[in-house]
Amino acid sequence: MEKALREKARELLTTGEANVIIGYEWNRRKTRATPAFITKADEVDRLIFNPLCVNNLSIYLTRKNKDILRMGKPAIVAKGCDIKNIVVLISEGQVKREDVVIIGMSCNGVVYKQGLWKGELRPEIMPVKCHNCDVRNPHLTDFVIGDHIDFTPPETPRGMVFDKIAALDAKTPGERWSFWLEEFSRCIKCYACRQACSLCYCERCITEKNVPQWIETSAHQRGNIAWNLVRAMHLAGRCTFCGECERSCPANIKLNLVNQKLVLTVKDAFDFKSGYDEKIHPPMIVFSPDDTENFIK
Amino acid sequence: MSRIGVFICQCGTNIADTVDTEKVAEEMKKIPGVVHTQDYKFMCSSPGQKMLKEAVKKHRLDGMIVSACSPHMHEKTFRRACESAGINPYMCEIANIREQCSWVHHDKTKETGTVKSLDLTRMTIERLKKNQPLKPNKIPVNKRALIIGGGIAGIQAALDIADGGREVLLVEKTPSIGGNMAKLSETFPTMDCSQCILTPKMVEAELHENITLMTYSEVEKIEGFIGNFRVTIRKKARYVNEELCTGCGDCWDKCPFKQDSEFEHGLKKRKVIYTPFPQSVPNIPVIDAPNCAMLQKGKCGVCAKVCGPKAVDFEQKDIVVEEKVGAIVVATGYDLMPNEHFGEYGYGRIKDVINGLQFERLASSSGPTGGKILRPSDGKEPQSIVFIQCAGSRDEKKGVSYCSKICCMYTAKHTMLYRHKVHDGQSYVFYMDIRSGGKRYEEFVRGAIEKDGAMYLRGRVSRVYEKDGKVIVQGADTLSDSQVEIEADMVVLATALVSRPGADTLAQKLGIGYDKHKFYNEYHPKLKPVETVTAGIFLAGTCLGPMDVPESVAQGSAAASKVLVLTSSDEMIKDPTTAIVNDFTCNACWDCVVACPYSAIEKTDIKDREGNVIRRLAHVNDGVCTGCGTCVAACRSKAIDLKGYTDEQVYAAINAF
Amino acid sequence: MSQENTEETQATETTETFEPKIMAFVCNWCTYAGADLAGTSRMEYRPNVRIIKLPCTGRIDPLFIIKAFENGADGVLVSGCHPGDCHYTAGNYHAKRRWIAFRSLMEFTGIDTRRLQFSWISASEALKWVDLINNVTDEIKALGPFMDFKNLKG
Ligand SMILES: Cc1cc2nc3c(=O)[nH]c(=O)nc-3n(C[C@H](O)[C@H](O)[C@H](O)COP(=O)(O)OP(=O)(O)OC[C@H]3O[C@@H](n4cnc5c(N)ncnc54)[C@H](O)[C@@H]3O)c2cc1C
Ligand code: SF4
Ligand code: SF4
Ligand code: FES
Repeated sequence: MEKALREKARELLTTGEANVIIGYEWNRRKTRATPAFITKADEVDRLIFNPLCVNNLSIYLTRKNKDILRMGKPAIVAKGCDIKNIVVLISEGQVKREDVVIIGMSCNGVVYKQGLWKGELRPEIMPVKCHNCDVRNPHLTDFVIGDHIDFTPPETPRGMVFDKIAALDAKTPGERWSFWLEEFSRCIKCYACRQACSLCYCERCITEKNVPQWIETSAHQRGNIAWNLVRAMHLAGRCTFCGECERSCPANIKLNLVNQKLVLTVKDAFDFKSGYDEKIHPPMIVFSPDDTENFIK
Repeated sequence: MSRIGVFICQCGTNIADTVDTEKVAEEMKKIPGVVHTQDYKFMCSSPGQKMLKEAVKKHRLDGMIVSACSPHMHEKTFRRACESAGINPYMCEIANIREQCSWVHHDKTKETGTVKSLDLTRMTIERLKKNQPLKPNKIPVNKRALIIGGGIAGIQAALDIADGGREVLLVEKTPSIGGNMAKLSETFPTMDCSQCILTPKMVEAELHENITLMTYSEVEKIEGFIGNFRVTIRKKARYVNEELCTGCGDCWDKCPFKQDSEFEHGLKKRKVIYTPFPQSVPNIPVIDAPNCAMLQKGKCGVCAKVCGPKAVDFEQKDIVVEEKVGAIVVATGYDLMPNEHFGEYGYGRIKDVINGLQFERLASSSGPTGGKILRPSDGKEPQSIVFIQCAGSRDEKKGVSYCSKICCMYTAKHTMLYRHKVHDGQSYVFYMDIRSGGKRYEEFVRGAIEKDGAMYLRGRVSRVYEKDGKVIVQGADTLSDSQVEIEADMVVLATALVSRPGADTLAQKLGIGYDKHKFYNEYHPKLKPVETVTAGIFLAGTCLGPMDVPESVAQGSAAASKVLVLTSSDEMIKDPTTAIVNDFTCNACWDCVVACPYSAIEKTDIKDREGNVIRRLAHVNDGVCTGCGTCVAACRSKAIDLKGYTDEQVYAAINAF
Repeated sequence: MSQENTEETQATETTETFEPKIMAFVCNWCTYAGADLAGTSRMEYRPNVRIIKLPCTGRIDPLFIIKAFENGADGVLVSGCHPGDCHYTAGNYHAKRRWIAFRSLMEFTGIDTRRLQFSWISASEALKWVDLINNVTDEIKALGPFMDFKNLKG
């Protein structure tokens, strides 16, 4: 697989079809996969692909990484789940489809955290998204690297996140509030979650807007709650559940729960799943006169 | 620091009965930025307003709160007072302490009302501190109007606008204006001949110095906004030079090829070079290119040879022009439901089953039979005719759910025309209900039944078939609760009126709405019947739904009056409550562009000197924006804001709560 | 402002004397006019609600609601034109989508949804407005002060 990937990369760089390959390479000690930006054809052998390649590299296609945008036309090594984010970026005008080469990687799953890797991919160290993945054969690509993978995800998604959501739903509002208060009280407003998310690409985040300052900036409970509610709302109907935010949170706040809750809400209410079709608008900026609810009096 | 004046109205006793206005005045004075407060009996009276103005001067106010009745009552009054006192009218805000306080809290101790008035006034003061002076938007208005569709509705609109002194461009798809009305024989309820009342209007439209006709043309693209539309029109090749043609008719006399006439609904042939009907305006033929031997195979060319002024031009090409107009009237009319819907009535299969417009042609003295009622199969005079109403209407399963509205009337008319022409002929009418609301309409239908002997049968027809040169109609008469079978010579279906094919595509180009039947949506069914959600675009006639000629004409005139109002001055003054984008923080995510119900936001490119796009930004078109603020809530980075209801203003009000 | 208020409320309130603070975000064309009509008709209702008028429900941002709670609101009410009646044709449809998502999020976070209510009230539904304000006020009065947010350290 890596061989085919490197060949493709070499070809793209030699023909000039792409100016930079955004992919993965080993860190110096060969213990972790880190992002690689390869511009020369003779360096393509640095590219790797294995279950340690968890990072969602789509972030390097956004305005957050202007230095990478300046390198020229990118070709990106992307798993199906990463491609979902690229789809959202395209549908929101952040990337033009013709401006990026997507090298789709067939994928059998990745590790939840690179530290868990002991040389073998076991179900226990895979994130929930991999167990429910319907894009192991990537969906929006220019090229696919790797063999076709036979895998049918369960009809209704399952796994820890879903169990926890169900458990929380079953609790009283008071209990839920205490739970989240405890979670969010650990927030130190480092914004690592925002930094890691390729869909948090705002030129100026709402938290940085100070006239008016909707979200209090210091890391106290009130500001933390507001920030986390707003962050979740801004991702409603857009979040692809890639899990980068939770992975990056130094305080281990269960962001996946909030995000997935809204994914489920949007699916239920608007019959929409983000990341599949770059030609349709995200659901929170459109509507259907037939949208139903049961709470408006 | 602002210098705010707060004025509390007692409204006689309307407010003062339950609100201690003096206390409100006193308390408000303590708020930083408030330099003057005062309560008074009637703020809106002339002494009250004079007082306001004097206070502005005396205390050098830069903003004003009036705690009084609802802003829906007197916001304008007080803002005007502000303006005449020299401060920007948008620096005046109203706290509603009457409708939403003194009148709904009847506590005579005044405690409840006073507490709430204090809150409401304080919130408004804090909001005002974040107000910005606003200037009304001035939008230049191009005074020309475009009319799409040259039926009676479009012609009427064109004539009225032109008489009002504005230039009109009338674009008609077919070779002649006139529309469906040109096909009618006589018109209910007065029975005047349709051509006699329509032709003069068509000619007037052709000759009017303010009207430019563009027939055989279609609108391809519409850009811009109210007062400033850019319209791309394709003028299809006629293969006849309009400047040279005199309309003498030598060409169509000599053309050796024939086709079914669209205008006569297949009851007659026309030549391949033709005008749709003798009174066509303009009286200039077109060549039906797909059927022309010369254009297709290079053989023939008879028309060119016989044409005296040498007007036939086989080299002619479509011309695409761009026109600028300030207002648009859409009057694209209706069609009849196509025959494949009427299997059980044998329509399309049995020659002597025809639709209403075909009957109009048979009855028309300029029609295929010279006005004699002769049946299509063998040209014999029918001794009995069955008319079937509601064919396709009022039945969602078989056709459309709505009532086509005019068929009851024209069927009654048809029975009369028939009796006047075939004196011993018997007509039968199958109907569901007779709907004849309208001036002299009921009397008209009664006349058909009582004077002209039409036999009305209430019930549905179940089957129509041919037998021995007759058309057998089987149906139910629900009034006598019996099955009936009629041996008729001819059957006329009052088929449903439907929207034009392609009505939806045109609507999408225009950015106007349509219903599930593809009839266009008026802005408000009662109060804005000829407006659309897109400012500057108006509607008239049957493109909105079924209606008769008087209504179509009334709508044409209504739309014209809207156009004349819009074009009455060089500039349109628009409320400054519009959205505005912050160029530094816009992400070009186009969330606002998609969310805006009015398509008021454009995607713009910022280019460097070499013309390379360096950034893309959303840009609000003040001419189109209505100030709903939907975009603001949609924008994640709050890069767009709504003047008059900015985030800062709302934030300040919430914080003062 | 908000800070003082919060402490005051905490100190003096018992359930008996508790008067909830309710913030209402309403659109200018329907609900605001409906509330005006209640006044013109001299109806009477609980005095606890403070209205902020927006042009349309489409303008109402979840941020407003969060801020209102942060500022000590015991309940928030959001109301506009009935679907199909929006003065701007579609603002309320957009709003409805946002509310569906936002309410679900608030519910999941453990905020008692009785404190956040939504409604469609037309310009002629003065009675509906009166009933709504009375009911919401009574409901929230029974729930007591909204300590979840008030207790948050700022
Ligand atoms: C059988 C029958 C009998 C009737 N009898 C009577 C009667 O006796 N009395 C009465 O009051 N009413 C009668 N009516 C109703 C009458 O025909 C209509 O009310 C009237 O013709 C409507 O006029 P209009 O201008 O709205 O539409 P139309 O007459 O349909 O005109 C629309 C025009 O727009 C043009 N057009 C369409 N699309 C485009 C486009 N995209 N670009 C440019 N041009 C376009 C069409 O070619 C047409 O010329 C009768 C109707 C029927 C079916
Ligand atoms: S929604 Fe905001 S960021 Fe996106 S294009 Fe509009 S103004 Fe710019
Ligand atoms: S305020 Fe309303 S009309 Fe104006 S740009 Fe925003 S969404 Fe469109
Ligand atoms: S104007 Fe009332 S909801 Fe839009």
